[in-house]
Amino acid sequence: MITGILTFVIIFAIIGSILYGQRLIKTEKSDAVFGNPERAKGGVHWVIVGTSFLIFTWLYYSWDIAKAFYPKSANELCQVAKVNESLLSLKYLFPIEERSHKSTALIKRENINISDKITEIQNSPGLKKQDKEKFVNLLNKTRQTIPLLTSEKYIEEETKNIINELTNRISQLTENFSKDTYPRPLSDEEENKRIKETKKQLGWGATGMEVPPLPESKVGLKFHAAAQELNSVSDEFFAMRNHHPEYLQLLKEIRDEIKEYKNSLNDDQELEMTYIKEIKKLGQRIEYESVFPPNALDKMEKAIRAFDKVQKKEQGATRIKDMLLFPGGTIVASGPTCAEDGPGRWLPKPSDTFRIFGDLLKPSVGFKMIPMIWYEMMGVNRIVGFFLPDWIADIMPGKYPVHNSEGKVEPNFKSKVLDIVTGEFEAFKIPVPTGHIWDSFLRVFLGLTLGIIFGVPLGIFMGLNRFAKGFFDPLVELYRPVPPLAWAPLVITVFGIDNVGKIFLLFMVSFSIMIISARAGASGTQLSKIHAAHSLGASRWQIIREVIFPNSLPEILTGVRVAVGMCWGTLVAAEFLAGTTGIGFVENVARKYMQYEVIWITIFVMGMLGLLFDVTIRKIIDKTIPWRGKG
Amino acid sequence: MKKIISFILAGVVALYLSMSVAFSAANEVRVAFFLEWATPNQEDKVKQTFDKALGVPVKWTNFATGGEMTEAMLSGDIDISYSQGLTPFVNAVNAKAAIKLVDIAVIYGMGGTTCVAAKGIDKGNASSKLDGQKVAVPLGTMADYVFKETMRVVGADISKMKVVDMNPEDGSAAFVNGDVAMACLFGGKSIKAAKEKGASLLTVKEAQDAGIAGIDITSVTNKFLKENPGMVRTFVEVTHEANARYNSGKSDMNVIAKDAAMDLAGTKKQMGGFEFINAAKMKSNYMNKGGILMTYLEVMGNMFATSENPALKNYSKVVDTSYLPN
Repeated sequence: MITGILTFVIIFAIIGSILYGQRLIKTEKSDAVFGNPERAKGGVHWVIVGTSFLIFTWLYYSWDIAKAFYPKSANELCQVAKVNESLLSLKYLFPIEERSHKSTALIKRENINISDKITEIQNSPGLKKQDKEKFVNLLNKTRQTIPLLTSEKYIEEETKNIINELTNRISQLTENFSKDTYPRPLSDEEENKRIKETKKQLGWGATGMEVPPLPESKVGLKFHAAAQELNSVSDEFFAMRNHHPEYLQLLKEIRDEIKEYKNSLNDDQELEMTYIKEIKKLGQRIEYESVFPPNALDKMEKAIRAFDKVQKKEQGATRIKDMLLFPGGTIVASGPTCAEDGPGRWLPKPSDTFRIFGDLLKPSVGFKMIPMIWYEMMGVNRIVGFFLPDWIADIMPGKYPVHNSEGKVEPNFKSKVLDIVTGEFEAFKIPVPTGHIWDSFLRVFLGLTLGIIFGVPLGIFMGLNRFAKGFFDPLVELYRPVPPLAWAPLVITVFGIDNVGKIFLLFMVSFSIMIISARAGASGTQLSKIHAAHSLGASRWQIIREVIFPNSLPEILTGVRVAVGMCWGTLVAAEFLAGTTGIGFVENVARKYMQYEVIWITIFVMGMLGLLFDVTIRKIIDKTIPWRGKG
Repeated sequence: MKKIISFILAGVVALYLSMSVAFSAANEVRVAFFLEWATPNQEDKVKQTFDKALGVPVKWTNFATGGEMTEAMLSGDIDISYSQGLTPFVNAVNAKAAIKLVDIAVIYGMGGTTCVAAKGIDKGNASSKLDGQKVAVPLGTMADYVFKETMRVVGADISKMKVVDMNPEDGSAAFVNGDVAMACLFGGKSIKAAKEKGASLLTVKEAQDAGIAGIDITSVTNKFLKENPGMVRTFVEVTHEANARYNSGKSDMNVIAKDAAMDLAGTKKQMGGFEFINAAKMKSNYMNKGGILMTYLEVMGNMFATSENPALKNYSKVVDTSYLPN
């Protein structure tokens, strides 16, 4: 319902915005200033077109539009798919979806295989001459079995009859199929049972039900019945073997010869053993396959083609829905069940995605018992204990208390300090955020902040000082070009699989970017500005703080923006490697359970968080360096 | 403007075309397998018996987990997954993937997949010592199943542990480093490395008594089954011949070890814990109604079911015994 309305809204929004934009373009033509940057401002209507188009593509390719407007179409297509599936094995015999008859392709391949084997045997240095002759003889005999399968002469009456009967059954089905009376009505009792079961069936896309398999409509019932009939035809056909007594006789001769030869072999004659086994397999392969004379199945092929035509016609509106509303794939059947195949499978419907996202956001559900983003009450003592280093207690005067003879420990000043720095005291609790999203966010934030804190001063220093440049340059330049993920296994081994390792990895990423950008900014400061400040009596420190630092800010902030993107990319991969929490962990686990909705949710969340970071930095840029890009 | 619109339209058309299903004749058979997981048919893989028996080239690709095998099968890059764990297979069919189970590849005790705990933790005190600890588990694999079952046997509460999702290689490295208190692993090298710093929580015998066993299977895409039933039959047959050869002690272990990327002693030890049963036993004890495999499928199906991918009502639909040799 919502999807349906949304679809219309989107279509109107796109059309309206495009028309509006067209009108604006016309007015803009009159203002003749070429390349005016002011022109790039505004244009919300194009934003609407862009996002609407994206959402429309999503709705369309996830087949959500099909589901919104024709919720029963999946069920009908499922019945059609059942027919297609039951026809598949038979179709593969003929050049319907392939280029040649299956028999042709098989014989061509096996003839080549036999010739190759003969050449191989004749060139084999380890074989004795008489063995070679024996093998070649056997292979030639195997080759002679092929005409016994492909000649009209050797096709038995019984086989012919079965083929005819099956062909008739298909033709009969084709004839009945377009009639309204097909399939014949069930008895009242059976019909009631069927209706009852259909009513119990969940709809398309309900939780745990991908595509409802039982036929619900009249057309569906028709296809369902036809699929059952065709399945039985197909089974009977493949149970049949085109084996003339003469073929079986020759096959037996070859078998006996092989057996006799095998028995004559000693245990150490491995090469001969291998060859004889291969020869046996070759014959067997031909025996297993359904090989028929070139024209024996012509009528059957015709019947199948005719049925295919009729069934396509009978699909009627369903076929058009399939073509228009199920882009990139369709519903496929596998035995009695059906599934979405194509983008419908891996691109979840927006409605499902948001429903599952809503579920995941519930703190009591979350993912793997951890909420996506929520808060928990944490004592202030733990925060104090985290930030205050433990050695503060060690440098306090006095000694830690020793137990007395009564078996009690009296706390003294030193032990009380230790309690405070380790967080072992009672305190009020404050809410702190927690959950997968928060963990990922915190990791990126800490890695980035540490990178800025250490990278920017070092970068400026390197930009200004010859020693620093010479000393640090080789170090930084050696580690910087290495892709951050290449460090990941090492970092995780050294720093463990906890946050420390991941934050350190992100720090490495942002650190090098910050150095480069700060250095470029500092060394790019105009000398005249420094001279001017100097002549006005500025000290060295003042010049760095008031002239060089503001001058490098544009470069530094651009560096931060780049670093954010790199950090996200690295973080997700690091969480793939060893995850307990985080967005990357959620995605990796969802992948193992094939929860495509969850995968898309994580991608969406990552995009949103990246955008949040970027927008924040853009705001900071506008606030701190308003002069950027203005001369 | 017109250019932009035509560009977008062209893009949509290109996307449409590229996603349409392409039919192709089987000019090669693409098989997925595991390294560090020695099986008798690797001898035939090296000696190209499969290629000769099938009459077309066989392309073998190794994977790290069974879940990745499923992904490759669904995207149409793999036809047959040999020795896929039962857990990833169950996850796949719960998610309505169009694949079928045609053969049991390996039955193994806890020698092949096991939970190794740090020194000082044994099955008596595991329930208290593992509380609040980190454990490395490759989620959604057979090791995940073994983890859950082992914790049930020792009476430990999974919800009180911090489960870290790691592949066996990473998990064993983290365990050796002391980052995790326990690692559930599969694969010869990974287990061997981990055992230098700890011991299996359950012995092979204990696990067997508790009813924990691993089953690896052969799964095939429905499309390939329909298209080339003969090839599937031949593939299974060659595998069973290799198993028979191994069971009678005639396999060339050096070749197998080399192909599995393990040393000879490790291979022999690993395969010592494997069982390769014949088709008759499969049909009578495992794949029949109420058989061992069917029970496992049901138990695991419910164990790993999610709200979007619930357990199937009947797992016999995804098992086909007709490709087994007579």
